Amino acid sequence: MRERITFVQKLGDSIDPSTLKVTDGVLSGPEVQAVLEDRLTIALDELPTELHTLLKSVHELHVRWVSPVAYEAVSPLLSRLPPGMHLFFTPARGDADASDNLCPALAHVFGDIACSTPADSFTPLQNDRFSHSSAFQYFQPLESLSHFIAYAQDQLCPPSDALCAARLNSLVLASLLDLSYDTISHTLKITALWPYQKQAVHATSWPKLRTEVGVLSGEIPPNLEPHEVGLAGLLTVLGQDTKPSATMFAVPSRHRDAESKFSARFLEPTGTHPTLQVQLDSNKPPSGGSYCSAHAYFTLPKSIFADKYQLADDLFLASKNLTALRYISQPVDLEAPEYVMKQWGSAVLLELSPPKSEKPQPWTAEVPLHLRYLAPSPGGYKNIQVPYPAVFWACTAEEGTKFPTNPFERVNLGYDGLFGPRTVFWHVDPRPVSGNNRITNTVKVPVLDLDKADWVNAVTAITVLVGFAWVAWKLAAVYVRSGYGSAPSSQTSTQTGDKKRQ
Amino acid sequence: MLIWWTATSSSSSSSSSSSISRMAQSSVAARSASASAGDQTSARKKKRVSFAAGSAPPALPSAASSPAFSALFQRPLPLYFSAALLRLGLLLYGLWQDANSPLKYTDIDYLVFTDAARFVSRGQSPYDRETYRYTPVLAWLLLPTAHVGASPLWDAVWFSSGKVLFAAADLVAGWLLERVLTSSGSGLLGLDPVAARKFAAIWLLNPMVATISTRGSSEGLLGVLVMALLSAVMARRVTLAGLLLGFSVHFKIYPFIYAPAIVWWMDAERMGSADADKKKGSPAPGQNKSKSTLISRVTTFATPARIRLAAVSLSTFVCLNAVMYICYGPPFLTHTFLHHVTRIDHRHNFSPYNTQLYLASAFPDLSALRIESVAFLPQLVLSCFLIPIVLAKKDLPTAMLAQTFTFVTFNKVCTSQYFLWYMVLLPLYLPRSSFLEDGKLGIFALAMWVTSQGLWLHQGYGLEFLGLSTFLPGLWLASLGFFLVNCWILGIIIADVLREGPA
Repeated sequence: MRERITFVQKLGDSIDPSTLKVTDGVLSGPEVQAVLEDRLTIALDELPTELHTLLKSVHELHVRWVSPVAYEAVSPLLSRLPPGMHLFFTPARGDADASDNLCPALAHVFGDIACSTPADSFTPLQNDRFSHSSAFQYFQPLESLSHFIAYAQDQLCPPSDALCAARLNSLVLASLLDLSYDTISHTLKITALWPYQKQAVHATSWPKLRTEVGVLSGEIPPNLEPHEVGLAGLLTVLGQDTKPSATMFAVPSRHRDAESKFSARFLEPTGTHPTLQVQLDSNKPPSGGSYCSAHAYFTLPKSIFADKYQLADDLFLASKNLTALRYISQPVDLEAPEYVMKQWGSAVLLELSPPKSEKPQPWTAEVPLHLRYLAPSPGGYKNIQVPYPAVFWACTAEEGTKFPTNPFERVNLGYDGLFGPRTVFWHVDPRPVSGNNRITNTVKVPVLDLDKADWVNAVTAITVLVGFAWVAWKLAAVYVRSGYGSAPSSQTSTQTGDKKRQ
Repeated sequence: MLIWWTATSSSSSSSSSSSISRMAQSSVAARSASASAGDQTSARKKKRVSFAAGSAPPALPSAASSPAFSALFQRPLPLYFSAALLRLGLLLYGLWQDANSPLKYTDIDYLVFTDAARFVSRGQSPYDRETYRYTPVLAWLLLPTAHVGASPLWDAVWFSSGKVLFAAADLVAGWLLERVLTSSGSGLLGLDPVAARKFAAIWLLNPMVATISTRGSSEGLLGVLVMALLSAVMARRVTLAGLLLGFSVHFKIYPFIYAPAIVWWMDAERMGSADADKKKGSPAPGQNKSKSTLISRVTTFATPARIRLAAVSLSTFVCLNAVMYICYGPPFLTHTFLHHVTRIDHRHNFSPYNTQLYLASAFPDLSALRIESVAFLPQLVLSCFLIPIVLAKKDLPTAMLAQTFTFVTFNKVCTSQYFLWYMVLLPLYLPRSSFLEDGKLGIFALAMWVTSQGLWLHQGYGLEFLGLSTFLPGLWLASLGFFLVNCWILGIIIADVLREGPA
């Protein structure tokens, strides 16, 4: 088991090395304004039996939770996903049982997980384009990590160890949590990230755990390539080093900061075909030289969806400031109500079309979406949470640029596999629209009001019977007057003809 | 009125393309939607005009008509030419709007058909297109739309060829209407050609009909099939009628309701002359009076014409399905037929059952009384049994109108495109309807039909555009009200069968 704790400050915010103290395997220092990343690497056989059994039959699994509360990130920890719980999964070959155990295991660990089996609930990912994509995707909104924290405390902390429980409890404030496993490394990496804020530099070594602490900040070393980011700072291995050692390095990074913001909100009234308006601060791509295009990547819960056929017409797209629908997970049922859908929902990648003005200007793109019918409910309305998309400029790096894995980089984010290996993602930060600091939007969905539904069956039946009886009675009247034979030629016309002829 | 098309799309049963996307097409397209609504209104106005034109007994020349107006009907050419011109104008306008506006004139269904045709042209199955729920014949008919040549202009022409086909089907249906209206015989009107054309104009010059076919909806094809079926029956062309009946049912299922009416109508007395020429040994009409044992009744009923109709239509239907199944396998059955059995029909539409079905689909275990599983009973008892028995021999076209009207009114799904199914038969009934004789009744009925629909559309607008929970009680009561109005109109149509024809 290994742990890597990294404080990352912004460019130029380095701290004085003398303020860091290393004593008896404890590192302490001042408060710094930084992002904190804590990564635990656990070998397969160190895991609780339940997880061990599960992972043995998995080829690749990435669980990524993103907080619905907006957070600020710092380079190079910039990769973004829509808030909620994402899952990318490749089963071991020919292991169907493991797949069926996955959803119950997830529910056990994370709580309120709605999937039943991968076959029913997951969508296949295109893994023919680039080999690093996993095979299946799943997503659902998940408000907090509270269930995970309780599970981890129960599994990892001895009953008397208050410190262990407290450390796990700090995940309440985390913005990201990643669980990544693949058969090649045979290790589970658990990574948590706390947002850019004041953090006390403090780390304690644990028995049987090698802990490495870095206090880094952005830096521009000499000879920095355009596709690289530079970092400098102090590294300490707890229980081994007696003082931090200085370091400076550059890593190639596919996730960069576009240094602009966007927000998303639904246009009122939402109706049953709501339009999500994405407002961007700037129409200027981040890196002038290379070819860039703006994209929005959506993970839409099953209650709401985009229609690929509607998004196929160029004039229509242009009127919404969209260029094209680049990807939509398949299949997307265009008709079924939410309550019969087993599939999680759909992932959508849209290329946006910024106005081509010389001067930088704010602009909007509008994404037409459609609500499914939700199950009837008392009161006649249900709220659904729709996560913000991840918005980024995808720019192509120079010919020949290689992006070997950097120690801070995440792969398998859903959208990265849809781009070529030389693409750099310049992320636009989400800005909450409402005062509650959330990066989700709420849609009030009209449903059948169960409070008023008592008489529906009876009155419908009676009405249909009344209509039926009326029509049958009219038929009976015709029958009584002239039977079922041909048109009356003598008897009825003499009876009724006089009246009608007036 | 705004969401006329919305109502069509949000629950289109037969078509069921991405109804919602269609919806959005009109939802984001308030302008286009209101344009359709405008067409709608003018369609009704037009109808009123036609009513007025025909309201004087057609045997008498209509004094109210202007010379230009009557000139339109004196000879066939002006009427069919203007009907064609109307459609050509709409077709060209549609091309312009599609090319220049984000809001499309072309119906989403047409994109479904043409996508399917493209799949077929590449040797794939039309069912590779999501929400293609039609017979492959439709995709085959539209194969020219998949043609891609050198110039974009010609491609657009090829792409529109399906709409041309649908529009041409409208004209043929109109011509068949005129033919049936002028033919004489028992229960037939035998109008003079000028009067017949006036009534056929209700279909031919109806902007709603023209708009639907030029937007690329296939309902016009169904109109021509049903009219061809009726006119083949009237002309005693039994084999042709059987072929058409089998094909129509394969094409859109619902025309099966016409089978009992036609069979009942084809009694020995009516078909006697034709059968007697061919088969001397067949029991002569009138023999059934002497013996009335069950067996003799059955043998009397089973006339050669009826047997031939049943055999030809059934084998046509079975053969077509077998061919399609061989070509495209289980997806053909799933999408063309089984889809209609398994669909949930939860989305709002005009059907009286709609709210109940939404409720039942969400709580399948809770509903004790399963209305939806017996809903087909009143529908089929009326449209396939009682109406044919009582009305078919008296007036086959009106019986078929009443059947269709009943089928649509009592259906578990009802959208405005289904109204076309009975609209094609309306000109055959109107000449002797009490709605035309008593203008006040006619206007009142039309007003009731429009108003009750308007109330529903108003509730639908609140739901779809404003996001209001109008399911209960608004939409529900509106659909029940519309249902009752339809039943009332249906009662009058049925009673009118005993009225004397104008001829």
